[in-house]
Amino acid sequence: MKHLIYISITLFSSIFAQENQRILLTNGFLHVGNGEIVSNSIIGIKEEKILFVKNALAYTIRKNEWDTIIDLQGQHVYPGLVAPNSTLGLTEIDAIRATNDFNEVGDLNPHIRSLIAYNAESKVISTVRTNGVLIAQATPRGGSISGSSSVLHLAGWNWEDAVIKTDDGIHLEWPNSISNGETNHADKKRNDKYEENKAKIVQFFESAKIYAKNPEKHLMDLRFNSMKELFTGTKRLYFHANDIQQILDIIDFCKQEELKFPVIIGGYDSYLVADRLRDAKIPVMLPRLHSLPENEDDAVDLPYKLPYLLFQGGVKFCLQNEGDMEAMNARNIPFLAGTAVAYGLPMEEALKSVSLNSCEIMGIEKEYGSIEVGKKATLFVSKGNALDMRTNDVTLILIDGEILEVTNSQTDLYKRYKKKLGL
Amino acid sequence: MKIFSIFFIILAFSSFSQEINPLNGVKQSKPNFIALKNATILVSPTKTIEKGTILIQDDKIINIGMIVFIPDDALVIDLQEKTIVPAFIETNSSLGLPKISGRHSFFPQIETSKEGAYYWNESIHPEVAASAIYTFDEKGIEEYIKMGFGIVSTHQNDGICQGISAIFSLGTTNYSKQLISASGNPFFSFSKGISNQTYPSSQMGSISLLRQTLYDLKWYENATKKENNLSLDALSNQIKKNIVFQTGDKLEILRAHKIALEFNLNFTYLGSGNEYAILDELSKLKLNVILPLNFPLAYDVKDPYTAKEISLSDLKHWENAPLNPGLLFKNHVPVSFTSFGLTSANFWKNIKIALKNGLKESEALEALTLNPAKILGIEANFGTLEEGKKASFSIYDSNPFSEEAILLESWILGEQKILASSQKIDIRGKYNLIVDNEYLTLEISGTKEKPSAIIKKRNSNTAGNSKIKKRKRNQKTVEIVKDTLEIPCYINLVGNDVTLQFSSDDLKWEGSVSLHAKANMKFGVFEGDGTIADGTWVKWSAIRNETAEKTKSSSGSDSKKDKDESEASFWFPNMAYGFTEKPKTETVVIKNVTLWTNEKDGIIDDATIVLENGKIKFAGKGSPTTPNNAKVIDGKGKHVTSGIIDEHSHIAISNGVNEGGQAISAEVNIGEVVNSDDIDIYRQLSGGVTASQLLHGSANPIGGQSGLIKLKWGHTPEEMLIPNAPKFIKFALGENVKQANWGDFNTVRFPQTRMGVEQIMFDAFERAKKYEKEKIANPNSYRKDLELEVLLEILKSQRNITCHSYVQSEINMLMHLADSMGFKVNTFTHILEGYKLADKMKAHGAGASTFADWWAYKYEVNDAIPQNAAMLTKMGVVTAINSDDAEMGRRLNQEAAKTVKYGGATEEEAWKMITLNPAKLLHLDDRMGSLKVGKDADIVLWSTNPLSIEAKVEMTIIDGEVLFDSKKDLELRKINQAEKARIISKMLAEAEKGSETKPFVKKKAKHFHCGTIGEEGSTESNEH
Repeated sequence: MKHLIYISITLFSSIFAQENQRILLTNGFLHVGNGEIVSNSIIGIKEEKILFVKNALAYTIRKNEWDTIIDLQGQHVYPGLVAPNSTLGLTEIDAIRATNDFNEVGDLNPHIRSLIAYNAESKVISTVRTNGVLIAQATPRGGSISGSSSVLHLAGWNWEDAVIKTDDGIHLEWPNSISNGETNHADKKRNDKYEENKAKIVQFFESAKIYAKNPEKHLMDLRFNSMKELFTGTKRLYFHANDIQQILDIIDFCKQEELKFPVIIGGYDSYLVADRLRDAKIPVMLPRLHSLPENEDDAVDLPYKLPYLLFQGGVKFCLQNEGDMEAMNARNIPFLAGTAVAYGLPMEEALKSVSLNSCEIMGIEKEYGSIEVGKKATLFVSKGNALDMRTNDVTLILIDGEILEVTNSQTDLYKRYKKKLGL
Repeated sequence: MKIFSIFFIILAFSSFSQEINPLNGVKQSKPNFIALKNATILVSPTKTIEKGTILIQDDKIINIGMIVFIPDDALVIDLQEKTIVPAFIETNSSLGLPKISGRHSFFPQIETSKEGAYYWNESIHPEVAASAIYTFDEKGIEEYIKMGFGIVSTHQNDGICQGISAIFSLGTTNYSKQLISASGNPFFSFSKGISNQTYPSSQMGSISLLRQTLYDLKWYENATKKENNLSLDALSNQIKKNIVFQTGDKLEILRAHKIALEFNLNFTYLGSGNEYAILDELSKLKLNVILPLNFPLAYDVKDPYTAKEISLSDLKHWENAPLNPGLLFKNHVPVSFTSFGLTSANFWKNIKIALKNGLKESEALEALTLNPAKILGIEANFGTLEEGKKASFSIYDSNPFSEEAILLESWILGEQKILASSQKIDIRGKYNLIVDNEYLTLEISGTKEKPSAIIKKRNSNTAGNSKIKKRKRNQKTVEIVKDTLEIPCYINLVGNDVTLQFSSDDLKWEGSVSLHAKANMKFGVFEGDGTIADGTWVKWSAIRNETAEKTKSSSGSDSKKDKDESEASFWFPNMAYGFTEKPKTETVVIKNVTLWTNEKDGIIDDATIVLENGKIKFAGKGSPTTPNNAKVIDGKGKHVTSGIIDEHSHIAISNGVNEGGQAISAEVNIGEVVNSDDIDIYRQLSGGVTASQLLHGSANPIGGQSGLIKLKWGHTPEEMLIPNAPKFIKFALGENVKQANWGDFNTVRFPQTRMGVEQIMFDAFERAKKYEKEKIANPNSYRKDLELEVLLEILKSQRNITCHSYVQSEINMLMHLADSMGFKVNTFTHILEGYKLADKMKAHGAGASTFADWWAYKYEVNDAIPQNAAMLTKMGVVTAINSDDAEMGRRLNQEAAKTVKYGGATEEEAWKMITLNPAKLLHLDDRMGSLKVGKDADIVLWSTNPLSIEAKVEMTIIDGEVLFDSKKDLELRKINQAEKARIISKMLAEAEKGSETKPFVKKKAKHFHCGTIGEEGSTESNEH
């Protein structure tokens, strides 16, 4: 049975949850995700992979080759957007402790794995997906070393199905060079213990490095064992840091420890040392764009402008949205990128900063992040510019070639009460 | 002859003076009279006598002048042109009072824990009398004496009504003689102090509590059948007196002054040091101010990474604070000084700083003597050195205001206390030093009391040679400065004895040289002997050829300093992005622009808008005449809208957004604690917001009154408040008011369930009804209750409710409650389940003000959906999108755009949700919310369609004042940077001069949300 459909929002849910199917997307305004656009595209998908991406003028459709052909009628096609450094799936309701699974007891917890706490059935996830965010990095919080994150797509029945990269990296809260004070109300001042705190971290990593060289010589050490691949493999070390002093010390630390894949998360001051980050090839996951300037005197639009400043400085960067209500706010990630456009970043670069760049930084770019041949068919279609809340209107979602519903628990309530109110 | 006769009368009268205290042993001997002659006497701020005499009998001055008859039986002390200064008077001290410390309990303490017939709130304790708890503190007294004080008013610094001060003379004899008055000044403040009681928990709560206390007092004083209350008894005696009101910020002075006017009280304000920012108000209102002199130290700015953390406002305050005293005097504000925060080590240093920064010497004296005497009401006896006044003064070796003087003696109530040898000589200057036939130069500088010295030798060798030869040896550093050798030298002066010690390898003798001599300063000569390195005794001498003054004046570094001072400037507000002059209304014409009128015309392309006299004069198609002096802007491709109105905001608030100390706090008012210095005002302007309802938080069922403001950056709080704005109050329901997310200890305050919320509200309104009956029955003797007065306004539909609410059950409840009481709920705010009840809300007539897409942050928002706003709008409920968040407040245009995405609102509908609809909800739509001729000129110029993600604000105008301009903003950033750099380099120069510095401390960026508890803002989440 072959289907030929003109896109409509509600139809897809259950009909196409079959496997081994071949899908052709025609007439889409394609945003590849690597900076390029194809205004009239044809995208061929077989099973979970993208078979080809072509200009429509150079392709003749043979209908019998496809199970499903969808005419996108000029709508925009985007690679699945990414929410890096997020507690999405690790929390359901922020204020209810029972639903929070992202902060373990202890200071140095590299062995703690977010993966197994990830709730694939979170109601919040369904509302994030429907704005085009299809990949998340479930990230633990707290302590000096919070634990290991994993990268997942947002369609699995369980974490095992959903995971893209298990234990992709370890998250290190770099000591504060400027003390935030012991209480919430305390004023900031220079952290007198900064050198001491730093030395502790250095020593811990030195020991881990020794362990990594000859693990068999040691008794099993859960912490050091989890850190092995920082030195020998592709595991990322994510430094959470914002101040210039911290950033410069991290650059030194990475050289000293011969870290292969360091990443800075935050980096509010990164624009001040862009050249050094560029030379050290350390990418940055910028702080939540929709946030107030840190300092009274800062440019009122500095957080909006950071992507542009790093773009100009040649530093690899992507966007993330750690902060207040970050799980539910993951659905606003496309609009963070959109706001960056208003402050100088070119539109396709903005898209990159929430798709291909994020995937490259996390090390999943071979399969995700752009709509290119051989990659997983993880993409979505929007009636208008998906980076603008006014026009973001998602009509089709594919994750690993599987078509997903464009509804969520909220649209269900919407429907129910529209009926009740007679709207 | 006349003087003579008076003198005898006094003598006859006072020689028989008696004392109560029994005497142990034989009566102490003392002369009948004491005459101090040949002194320079600073009689009063306006009068100085050279070579004058003071005649003292017992504790009194009985004569003073150039020519004074000195009786035979007088002890005559020749002061040899030393200077006599009236004893300084300290108005603000806690000398001799016990240290106070509070208790802490995990469970909230709602009622007073103080036993006895006292006021119900522990921060109101006017009954505390300092005289009763004073104990002798010799060290403290000596410290004050060393600074030149003779009289101190001491009080317990704690609470809102702190109690009454006791005025003491600083003598060391007996209490009864020292105590001038047990009834000095009452002290008030806005700080609750160590009280552990939950109420008040905010500044607005303190304001209300003080007002209620004063109303209670009125009732207490008049009521016939009264209870006894020791606190009110004490307060009753105090309110006629001169009350000292402690403030922590300039704005608190303006807040307290409103209370002074309301109750006809006489307040003297104890300032905080930034009063220069409200000069106009102070001089207009003719307020009395006591100023601290503890000027901020320069920050340690050597490390640019930490220097960048210091805000421009802190830097500017450092530069401006020393100008504070002089500026206030110049503006005719009666100023007194307090030494609070200073010690004898830095007291004069700070006075001199003020003198260098525009304060006159006579003003300094006035602020330390006459003015404080008036505040204490003791000017009949103290403050100046006049006949009949008490003999309390200090003797310096020269004028301490103009020179570096040493305090020699302190006379308190006629009793002499010798503090330093009057023989202290000034040995500073340049000397030719001859030791064992070696010819050197000795330079003595430093202070007169603690001189420092350096020995120099002109090098006879060539400079090159000596440079190679001379390096560090041992600890002493020997440096070659050009061709002069400089050797540090230890110097000590005791009486006339001078000791010198120095060490060098480059003199005739290698090693240490110790010298001792008698100084004869009449000739400027030292002569003596000492030992050289090998222990040989040698003769030495030094002859002065240049005195200290000469050395000083020749250095000539003062001209640069003056230049620096002239650069200090005051901005409005005095921080980054402040204006150099207060903004003024402009005439503005924007042509060829797209207007979002929010009126029948809808969105019009290629139109023109004219703003004149703060109003919209024209908006639409056509070509109106361009007024003279108009700023004409070409708006091609751009859009103009009316300003964004944020129905739910918590920016620009001082010291607490919640008065959560009680379940009902209708008496508090956010409008009384507007903070005009909040950078978030400017940030909101950059996002096109022109007006905000500053709401009380949601910590209790009946919160406080709103402050409706326009974001008039650069203006005072009073000028920001919207004139004749409708009255609003915040109510709240659900998790916050039942303290569901406040931890395990907050389980005491009623209510803890939604069930309790209904009952406490019912009860409140029933009490209000009874209160009105009482008011009508006894119009002259009822007890005015600020809380119930406000509830009555609600019952009479004179005040609107904005109610924090989430789930449908509680929303339904409040509408029923309101219906039963005969009023309407004006606005449900947050109202995330509004869509479930849109029909009922429409029927009740309630409006909605909601978030665009927030949810999942607590249980009661589990059913929140982003389609809410669009659905409510479609149901005919007036709906606004609000922020409740300083960050989101500056991109409400984006939040409005989300209603297009979710629920399918039209662009015009979406735009009205942040402009016209909130104006309607606030009943301000007759003057704001649309581009209509005659409405306020509150408009925004956008780079493109304001709902687009690419839209940026180019200009925000309020009342015709251009308060944000994106081009000017870029300039301001440069100006900020330059100003910062200028002050930082000035600080570095200070540090190089050896001034003390302090490490940087930076106030955390804190923001208030609905659920933020306490006076400080927070960085916590989930507070909505």
